Amino acid sequence: MEAMISAGAVAGDEEQVASEFLTFTLGSEEYAIDILKVQEIRGYETPTLIANAPPFIKGVINLRGIIVPIVDLRIKFRLGKVEYTPFTVVIILNIAGRVIGVVVDSVSDVLSLTPAQIRQAPDFSGSFDTKYIVGLASVEARMLIVTDIERLMTSADMELIEAAAE
Amino acid sequence: MSIDMSQFYQVFFEESEEHLAAMESLLLDLDIDNPDLEQLNAIFRAAHSIKGSAGTFGFTDLAETTHILENLLDRIRKAELSLRPEMVDAFLEAGDVLRSMLEAHQGRGSVDPELVTRICGRLRQLSDAPAPAAAPSPEAAPVAPADDEVAVRIPEETGRRLFDIQFVPTEIAVQGVGLDNLLDELRSLGELEIVSRSEPGEESAAYWELRLLTDKPQEAFVDQIDFIAENGAWRITEDTAVAADGSTAFGFFPDSPGLPDEARGYGLYASAAKEEEAYGFFEPLPATTVEDEAYGFFEPLPTVATEKKDDDAGYGFFEPLPAAAPAPAEPVAAAPMAEEGDGFGFFAPLTPPVPVTPPVEAVAPKPAPARAERQAKTPVSASADSSIRVSIEKVDQLINLVGELVITQAMLLQTSAQMQDAAPERLLNGLTQLERNTRDLQESVMSIRMMPISFVFSRFPRVVRDLSAKLGKQVELKTLGETTELDKSLIERITDPLTHLIRNSLDHGIESPEKRIAAGKSPTGTITLKAYHQGGNIVIEVGDDGGGLPRDKILQKARERGLPVSDQMSDQEVFNLIFEAGFSTADQVTDVSGRGVGMDVVRRNIQSMGGRVEIDSMLGIGTRMTVRLPLTLAILDGMSVAVGDQIYILPLSYVLESLQPSPGDIKTLSNQARVVQVRGEYLPVVVLHEMFNLKSAWTDFTQGIMVVLDADGARVALFVDALLGQHQVVIKSLEANYRKVPGVSGATIMGDGHVALILDVSAIAAMARTSMQKAG
Repeated sequence: MEAMISAGAVAGDEEQVASEFLTFTLGSEEYAIDILKVQEIRGYETPTLIANAPPFIKGVINLRGIIVPIVDLRIKFRLGKVEYTPFTVVIILNIAGRVIGVVVDSVSDVLSLTPAQIRQAPDFSGSFDTKYIVGLASVEARMLIVTDIERLMTSADMELIEAAAE
Repeated sequence: MSIDMSQFYQVFFEESEEHLAAMESLLLDLDIDNPDLEQLNAIFRAAHSIKGSAGTFGFTDLAETTHILENLLDRIRKAELSLRPEMVDAFLEAGDVLRSMLEAHQGRGSVDPELVTRICGRLRQLSDAPAPAAAPSPEAAPVAPADDEVAVRIPEETGRRLFDIQFVPTEIAVQGVGLDNLLDELRSLGELEIVSRSEPGEESAAYWELRLLTDKPQEAFVDQIDFIAENGAWRITEDTAVAADGSTAFGFFPDSPGLPDEARGYGLYASAAKEEEAYGFFEPLPATTVEDEAYGFFEPLPTVATEKKDDDAGYGFFEPLPAAAPAPAEPVAAAPMAEEGDGFGFFAPLTPPVPVTPPVEAVAPKPAPARAERQAKTPVSASADSSIRVSIEKVDQLINLVGELVITQAMLLQTSAQMQDAAPERLLNGLTQLERNTRDLQESVMSIRMMPISFVFSRFPRVVRDLSAKLGKQVELKTLGETTELDKSLIERITDPLTHLIRNSLDHGIESPEKRIAAGKSPTGTITLKAYHQGGNIVIEVGDDGGGLPRDKILQKARERGLPVSDQMSDQEVFNLIFEAGFSTADQVTDVSGRGVGMDVVRRNIQSMGGRVEIDSMLGIGTRMTVRLPLTLAILDGMSVAVGDQIYILPLSYVLESLQPSPGDIKTLSNQARVVQVRGEYLPVVVLHEMFNLKSAWTDFTQGIMVVLDADGARVALFVDALLGQHQVVIKSLEANYRKVPGVSGATIMGDGHVALILDVSAIAAMARTSMQKAG
């Protein structure tokens, strides 16, 4: 299972100031993240366990000589069925100079969204992850949750980065 | 001159550091009563090189300080002043100031301007001291061999001489006050006439010609000109038509301002060739620059003319200069050339046109340019062959790639092993060869990063010199095995701990001369620095023949501090107490040491490099600190162990032995902590699968393996499921993309492409100790 599609291959002509987003599903929810943060998409391979790490950190893999931690967002957000099949997908992100792998249910497509299309998300008090949500976008009948993946991954909740973890 | 100089800054910084280091070691070697001229010249050259390049790059503070330093050096070199110990001290101090200036320019630290002023003042004062008896050895000069530029000192003739000075000032000098200063300075020497000068608004690289009528020798202003002029673009000639006989001939033409231009031109060749060999090969230079300025007699030179056309406006020929600059300090053989700064060698190829000049020119100049060319070429090509400067990132990238190659190779080998008989023999042969080649490749790539430890050792003579003077002790430093190589990153990190160990030996180890005499030893103590390879390690020993470590005193201090000690402890364990934080047996706190901070830092630093420190000591005989380090930080000899379905790597240097325990060997303490009996000794057991929350394949200890580890002198037994094998693994950082994991020091990639974590033995032992304490 090598890279399935290469990042940034789709170009939107019709929008002038639109940015491109990669969409993926977690359970029944559909998320969109800035495509510029995506390095590649690859199949899941069993990572090496890290002792005493939180359950959503699956471990580390060897990505062409780089040690990359793998986070399962399905476990983190308690969404979808957590199972690992040959079709399980890992999105390799390049965030804040770090390379991080994220396990999701499936990758849908690449979309262009203009800022006007992204609407403010309603404020759910108490729900911790609303601060990582940039807004909601509807494309045809789908509702996309536009996520600030950088802020999410570098947050203390993810326990991925030393300073944030302590 | 619109080249962006900043791209060469790094080279300049590195080079200047090297020059400073060379200068320092030469100064320390210098025999003050009878200084070796060659050594003095070498020091002068180092200073001069720094000045030259600092000027080129516009670091005026550096250039100015070095200039003052150089003036003093020059006077010593010419035996106008005799060398005194305080001069060496001043030079060393100036070297420190220059180093801090360099660092400030690199954005590290800052320079204390007061210190600079003080040291400059001190150097000036030393330099201005009256010379002992005007000319020290007037007889010696003419007899000196003609090709020893330095030795030829033009004796002070009474008559006044006319010098023709031509130069292209640097951009900085034009913009600043440098030129005005120069003119003032020259006026103070004699009558100055400005023959031609650049207009104020003109481009920077304009050409100046001055005439100076003075009774001073050329040396009096040569440095100033060199300082102001673009690197190498200057010439001073004496207007004596027949100076062919060298200095003695000057008397014939004490005053000859009225000479026709042409005659001056020839005279210039003759004198240059005979007495100023180092300048001789510059001859075509002004011709290319100033052709339009009535130097018509150069016109018949076709080669030169072509040169000129090629070179943009006559000064384009400076462009390759930075390329020549990285050449390291020239060998001594090139003395006359090197003395006048680096990079002149570049001009050498321009010399051949000289012999083509009209025959009127006489034979005299010919041998000189030929020689100059030879001299100029040899050092440049020799140094270009011997080394190149490559950024460390490039080397690291190469090492990484080779690491990948080794992993791929191992993967192939494993796959072919699984194919067993199905694999064709030729494939297997090829793979075996690949294995050998990759191993060789890895070794040679790793060796790129290796540097001799003399880089570290060379700074210690200074440390010992300063410190022994401060403490009133007589200490001699002996170094052995300076050529032992180790990884560059280790070189950088070992310097501080070693410096501390040496300071410690000096302060606490070596006794005062009176005490030593009373103890029947020589009043001069000896500190021995020794480096050698042992197995896959490098061993560095810091030994002294001082008083040794007082066991009783250490034990007593330890009790005072409430450390758990007993009289039964082995010497080794007692000595290791000095590595405890805040521990000091010094009766008084000096500014050198005695505060008890340091030794714990030393041990921590060495451990963080994967090394160890051991102490041997005998009361009254001396102490020896032995530092063991891995050769490199990039590769580790490891033992792979299995725990559940996971594989971990244990650094082999920590593994003492492994054994399968028998049922009676395992005992519990308070029903929680476990110990295992190994040959009558009870060692705490660290159960890896419990610590890491993994499922072990075994339920009983007797089914698995106990690996006895030596972690900082304390032994623990690590329980694992199985031993798998021994590997050389490439260490990868886990923190690059993740964070630090307790008990894990890094990661590596195994032959099958999977990641295996490398265990941090010290941390695991510490974790075991805390859990034992909780249990106990």
